[in-house]
Amino acid sequence: MTQWDGHGLPPVAAERMRRFASTGLRTSLLTVPGAVGAQSVGFDPVGEVMGCIVQHIGWSGFGLGGGTVTSSGRAGFVGFGPYVDALYRGYGTALARMTEEAAAMGADGVVGVRLSVSDLGNDNREFVALGSAVRSRSRHRPARVFSTELAGQDVAKLMQAGWVPCAIAYGISVAIRHDDWRTQRQSTWGAGNTEVCGYTELVAHVRADARYRFDQQARATGAEGAIVSSMGLQIRAIEPAENHRDHIAESTVFGTALASFHRGSTAPTRSLTILPLR
Amino acid sequence: MTADPTALGIPEDAMRRLAEMRPGQSTSLFTSDLSVNEFLLVREAGFRPLGLVLGTSIYHVGFQMGRWNSNQELTVLSQAMYHARELAMTRMEAEADQLGADGIVGVRLEIEFKEFGSDIAEFIAVGTAVAADQQQAPDGHVWRNNKDQPFTSDLSGQDFWTLIQAGYAPLGMVMGSCVYHIAHQRFWQAIGNVGQNVELPQFTEALYDARELAMSRMQAEAEQLAAEGIVGVQLLSLGHRWGGHTTEFFAIGTAVRPLRADHVIAKPQLVLPLTDS
Repeated sequence: MTQWDGHGLPPVAAERMRRFASTGLRTSLLTVPGAVGAQSVGFDPVGEVMGCIVQHIGWSGFGLGGGTVTSSGRAGFVGFGPYVDALYRGYGTALARMTEEAAAMGADGVVGVRLSVSDLGNDNREFVALGSAVRSRSRHRPARVFSTELAGQDVAKLMQAGWVPCAIAYGISVAIRHDDWRTQRQSTWGAGNTEVCGYTELVAHVRADARYRFDQQARATGAEGAIVSSMGLQIRAIEPAENHRDHIAESTVFGTALASFHRGSTAPTRSLTILPLR
Repeated sequence: MTADPTALGIPEDAMRRLAEMRPGQSTSLFTSDLSVNEFLLVREAGFRPLGLVLGTSIYHVGFQMGRWNSNQELTVLSQAMYHARELAMTRMEAEADQLGADGIVGVRLEIEFKEFGSDIAEFIAVGTAVAADQQQAPDGHVWRNNKDQPFTSDLSGQDFWTLIQAGYAPLGMVMGSCVYHIAHQRFWQAIGNVGQNVELPQFTEALYDARELAMSRMQAEAEQLAAEGIVGVQLLSLGHRWGGHTTEFFAIGTAVRPLRADHVIAKPQLVLPLTDS
C-alpha cells in the first residue's frame, strides 16, 4: 500500500467515491422529516459524506504577559496561539475533506453536519465531520459546496423564507490571565459580595475574541447573517510554578452563515397558526 | 399552507445566489443566538436581528450564617444574586445599545458556579439584539422602554411572535430574588411529629415568606417600567451550593405594555397530530 501524502482524499475514501459513482447507490443520514424537508425545497439526497483528521497537538505555546492575553494577540507563541491554530486546522481540514467528498459525488451542499472531536490520548485528537450530501434540482450550481449544521427541516424552513445556508462558521479563542493580588483578594473566603474583576475580564475577552473570529469567518464567505448553534466556555486553573496560579479560558462559537435570496425587500412569510389537539 | 417552492425561486434563485457568492465580499452581517424557528418568527413579527449580545460577570458571593432555628432572609446573599445578575444584564444591554437596537429577544440568564473557587459563580446574559422594521410601535410610541433602554425579553421567538400578534410589546425582563434560610425544627418538635401526618407551620410560613418577597420585588420592577402586566413568569427555587436549608427563590418574567385596545388574535387552525407529544 502506498503512503498517502495528505493531499486530497485518503485512498480508501477516494475508492469509496469511485464505487459510489459506478453503482449509483444513494445513501443519507437524514431523518424522514429531514429528507422530506430537503425534498420540499428541491434537494435530493446524494450520499453520506465524512471528513476526518487525526492531529498531534504537542506544542500549545505559552501564556506569558501582563493582563489578559488572548490567542489572537500579535505575538505568535503567546496566549496559546499554536494550540488554537491547531484546532482551526483540525476543524477546517475535517470540513474541507467532507465537502471534497460531496463535490466528488456531484453534490451542491451538505446538510445536518455533525462536528465532533475525540481525545485519543498522548495529545492526539481526532476531528470528524459527518453529514448528508444533497443536490439541488436546479440549473445553477453553487460556487462552492455549501455546508450547514442545520437539519433538513430547518434548511427547508429557511429556504421557504428566502434564506439559504452557505457555510459552517466557527470562532475559537483561548485566553490566559495571571491571578494578581487583586484577583486573589477578591476571591478569598472573607471577601464578601464582590465582582472578581480579573476573571470577568478574562471571560469577557475570550468570548469577545471567539465571537469576533466567528463573525469574521461568516463575513468572509460573503454571507448576510449567521445563526449560532452552540457556544461553549471552559475555564480552568493551572499552577505553572510554586505560588503562581493562572486561569485559562477557552471559548467556542459554532454556527451557520446564511445568504438571502428573496426578491423583495422583506422576506416572504406565510406561517400558519395552528393549535395542536393533543 | 406551504406555497409552491418554484414560485418563490426555490431552488433556482437560491442556487444562483450561492453561485454568485465570492469570498471576501463586504456585507453587513448579523449574528443571532436564535434557533431557525425563532429567527423566522422574529422576522415575521417585524424585527430584524442585529447581533448576538452578551454580558457576563464573575462574582464572589459573600457569606452569611443563618441562625439554626430561625426563618430569615439572608440579605447578603440576596444582594449578591441581584447585583451580579444586574451587572450581566446591564453589560448585555450596553452591547445592544451600541448596535442601536430596539430590543433584545430570547434572553437567557444563567448562573454557573465554578469549580476553581468556592463561592465564585459566573452570571451570564445572552440574547439577540433586534431592530424593528417600523420605527414606531402601533401605539405611536417607540419600542424602547421608559428608561430609553432596548426592551428585553426572555420569551422564546415563538412566544414573542404570539405576544406581538396579540397586541402587546415587551418592556423588560423583571426579576425578584430572595435567599432565605429555613429554620430547623427544634428537637422536641421533631420528636413530637414522629409517626404523625401534620403540617409543619414554620416550614410553610418560611416558603410563603420567601416566595412573597421574591414576587413582590419582581412586581416592583415591573411598576417602575409602567407595565400593564408580567407574562411568562417562572418561580424557581434554586439550591445553589448553600446546603438544604438555604435556598434562593427567584422570580423572573417579561413585563409588557399594550399596543392596542383589543387583544384578539386570528383563530388558529386546529390540527390533530398523528404523532406522540
